[in-house]
Amino acid sequence: MLLFRDEAHVDRWCGVREMTRGALLTPEQAWQLAQGWYKEKLKPEWRRPTVEEAEALLASIGLTGAFWNLRA
Amino acid sequence: MGSDIEALGFDVRLYVFNEAAATGHVPQPLQIARALRRSEAEVRAALQILAEGKTLIMAPNGGDIWAASPFCAVPSGFRVHAAGKRYWGTCAWDAMGIAAALGSDAQITAPCGDCGSGMTLEVRQGRLERSEGIIHFAVPAHHWWDNIGFT
Repeated sequence: MLLFRDEAHVDRWCGVREMTRGALLTPEQAWQLAQGWYKEKLKPEWRRPTVEEAEALLASIGLTGAFWNLRA
Repeated sequence: MGSDIEALGFDVRLYVFNEAAATGHVPQPLQIARALRRSEAEVRAALQILAEGKTLIMAPNGGDIWAASPFCAVPSGFRVHAAGKRYWGTCAWDAMGIAAALGSDAQITAPCGDCGSGMTLEVRQGRLERSEGIIHFAVPAHHWWDNIGFT
């Protein structure tokens, strides 16, 4: 997951690699995702989120649809 | 033996992540073995189980840890300064994840994936107070682990 200056830079990067654009997140969405995924990682009781928990996290920040489907 | 290694995995996990958080450096098998007073072979077996569970990522073609996500074991363009230390993330998500895992204010610098120009993000008191750019996920979620290095 790379950071880009703007969408034109994303499209240029994809074009060079003959890839279609994936999904774009605002920095705030990425921060919410990072918090949900990692804020417990140092705790002894940490465990990897279940698919259901991961789906709920993604949905909570508006990441829904085929691209974010974890079950395909 | 199997259950012993699984139990060791718990200790290895705590040591690896706490050491990475405390120092900015992800410990490798020999250091872990010495710290936990176990053989390197046992530690490598425990790391393999942790990697299979996607708790951390081993380097391709080797027995070293590449990333105890969100902490990257090798220098990257995703630099995080927090609590007076320097960390590396494997990607934009993980760089922010370091700030989240530490629960600390942080300054994150990263290059634009296209032009390489530097950008800065800052976390203060649990909020993203400064940001630039956008984050691109090139790979659909269900394919992230097909090639986690590219993802």
